[in-house]
Amino acid sequence: MIELVQQILNGLAIGGVYVLVALGLTTVFGILGIAHFAHGSVSMFGGCLTCFLAVSAGLPLLAAIAAAMAVGFVLGVAIELLAYRPVRGASHINAFIVALGLTMMVEGLNLQLFGHEQVVILTGLSRVFEIGGVTIPELRLYVILAAAALIASMTLFVERTRTGQAIRAVAENREAAILMGVNVQAIPLIVFGISTTLGVCAGVMVGSLFAIAPGIGEWLVVKGFAVLILGGLGSIPGAVIGGMVLGVTEALAAGFVSSAYKDLIAFAVMIAVLLMRPQGLMGKA
Amino acid sequence: MMRKLTLAAAALAGAIAGPLGGSSAAAAERTLRIGVSDALTGGASVYGLPQANAIRMAADEINAAGGVKVGGDSYMLDVIAHDDKGNPTEATNAVRKLIDFDEVKYILGFCCSGAASAVASFIADEDAVMLVGNAAERSITARGIPNLVRTRPPADYTGAAAGAFVGKRGHKRVAVLGALDVGFYALYVDAFEKELNKAGGQTIARESFGLKDRDMTPQLTKIREMNPDALLVVGYVEPAAFIYRQSVELGMDIPRYGFTSGSEEQFLRVATSEQMEGVWDLRPTELTLQSATETGLACHRNYTERYGMPPSPSSPYAHDNVHALKHAIEAAGTVDDTRAVARALRELAPPSEAVMQYLPVDGKMFDRNGQAYTANGAFQWRGGKWVYVEELPSDAKAYSEFLASLR
Repeated sequence: MIELVQQILNGLAIGGVYVLVALGLTTVFGILGIAHFAHGSVSMFGGCLTCFLAVSAGLPLLAAIAAAMAVGFVLGVAIELLAYRPVRGASHINAFIVALGLTMMVEGLNLQLFGHEQVVILTGLSRVFEIGGVTIPELRLYVILAAAALIASMTLFVERTRTGQAIRAVAENREAAILMGVNVQAIPLIVFGISTTLGVCAGVMVGSLFAIAPGIGEWLVVKGFAVLILGGLGSIPGAVIGGMVLGVTEALAAGFVSSAYKDLIAFAVMIAVLLMRPQGLMGKA
Repeated sequence: MMRKLTLAAAALAGAIAGPLGGSSAAAAERTLRIGVSDALTGGASVYGLPQANAIRMAADEINAAGGVKVGGDSYMLDVIAHDDKGNPTEATNAVRKLIDFDEVKYILGFCCSGAASAVASFIADEDAVMLVGNAAERSITARGIPNLVRTRPPADYTGAAAGAFVGKRGHKRVAVLGALDVGFYALYVDAFEKELNKAGGQTIARESFGLKDRDMTPQLTKIREMNPDALLVVGYVEPAAFIYRQSVELGMDIPRYGFTSGSEEQFLRVATSEQMEGVWDLRPTELTLQSATETGLACHRNYTERYGMPPSPSSPYAHDNVHALKHAIEAAGTVDDTRAVARALRELAPPSEAVMQYLPVDGKMFDRNGQAYTANGAFQWRGGKWVYVEELPSDAKAYSEFLASLR
């Protein structure tokens, strides 16, 4: 029993990272209908930037994270303005090609700016708590709490603020939103800014829990899209549940079956869910 | 008429200046290109890049001392390096490029077994000599390829010594967590287990991870529930460092043994010194400040000054290959006859410039399989650094005979 609880706890931390990646992807997809493949590379950029600011520029870690989040917001706005806006209204294939090109550009930028070396964000959080035989590493606890706080903030923002209402309005009916006076030019900028900021947070978490290296962006975005599909396209609660399900399934598969099959088992579970609910766990039929 | 005179004068001038100019250029400097195929980027670059650096450093040492001397000529070494990413296909392409386009006859590097094995599969048919560094897969030298030598001993040679050591320390239930999909790590564990069984111990779990995995908490949680006496970790430095870190995070308080060959700096990029405290590394007696000879200390110092970071413990395998090559070429008296140079390599005693402490078989650095042997050692992480604790029993001659018997 303790092992089961421990494995679930192990899965929640990585599940939290998946949720943050998927939240960014789902807001962009839900509102703009864009499969933003560069999201993983942008997360990697955020993690590397945080490490650079903390180690090379000497900023305290929290300040480095805050600065990276701010840069991430600006980067997201720039991506929307310069890359996706020019192809808005064109065929979907145009945005698809832009997304692929952008992925390569951001990957290249990461290599140029931060090199090919693996980066680990050392946090100094090395205490271990034990409750009833279950150990909770301090770092994982903070990652779970930070992910929960970001999810709650995002939910509150979307549900309770005027900008959030405007975002939902654009997502549901763009023409009606225009008639109601919503600034539909500004909404995509805000959405991309928030999405990229969440991606930066995910990158910081990956960098502190594990490591950031070339190729990790690809891994993140694949997991993010898996969560997106599992939870339901465009659904914020779906991204939360889907991320947690994927993270915990992977941990249980690696712990009780074999780490070699963890991705296989996680994706098999995903396929099984989709066979029963093609719209995803929280998607609308 | 005038044109004919001009041409004749030019031909005469050429006939006079040609030989003089040629001999003066030859006396001044001849160049011998040596090639490097190694993982300069990607996950395996923690081993490949330090090897490539060590090769360049050794080449410069040789050049500074007057180069490779053959029949009154001195050859300055010119190193051409290609990135094989530790990948078999990339390594094949890199070596083909070195041989076919760069016209290189001596190829060094090879930190990864997959890449080295791929090249070893065709090198016997080439007019070239392959000098393998860090790659530890047994099969690379088991075939006795005449134009291939390797400085690092095979993984099972070390695994057996490690198993005997852990058994001697009284551990009866050892859990293994390793990159067991990689052949030489599985070889290490097999040999380890055999010797552990002889001492009355057993391996109670064999959990694996991928070389790109960084979250090993599920496997560690499973192992923790089995209450082992000790944990054996075999894999690249970075995943191993994550395992050591995560084992502490999961509250596992058992002796941890490993086979990684990572430097202090490489481990400290991932784990804190406190999380590493007490970890053993059971591996060939490679370059550490505690185990090094005067030559090793000088190599450590020069490398650190040159590259701004200390060498990884396994990088001198490649360094020593360059010096062995120099002596073999000089003994063979030719740079062109690669077969003669390959034969000379197998007759060579360990050169005085060698950093690793080789155990010669019948007085020779490389045995008839083309394999060199070092002693194995037990290193322990104490207070932020690897401390050489003791030598592990290693019978190079017996292993050499065993290796030859596999053909």
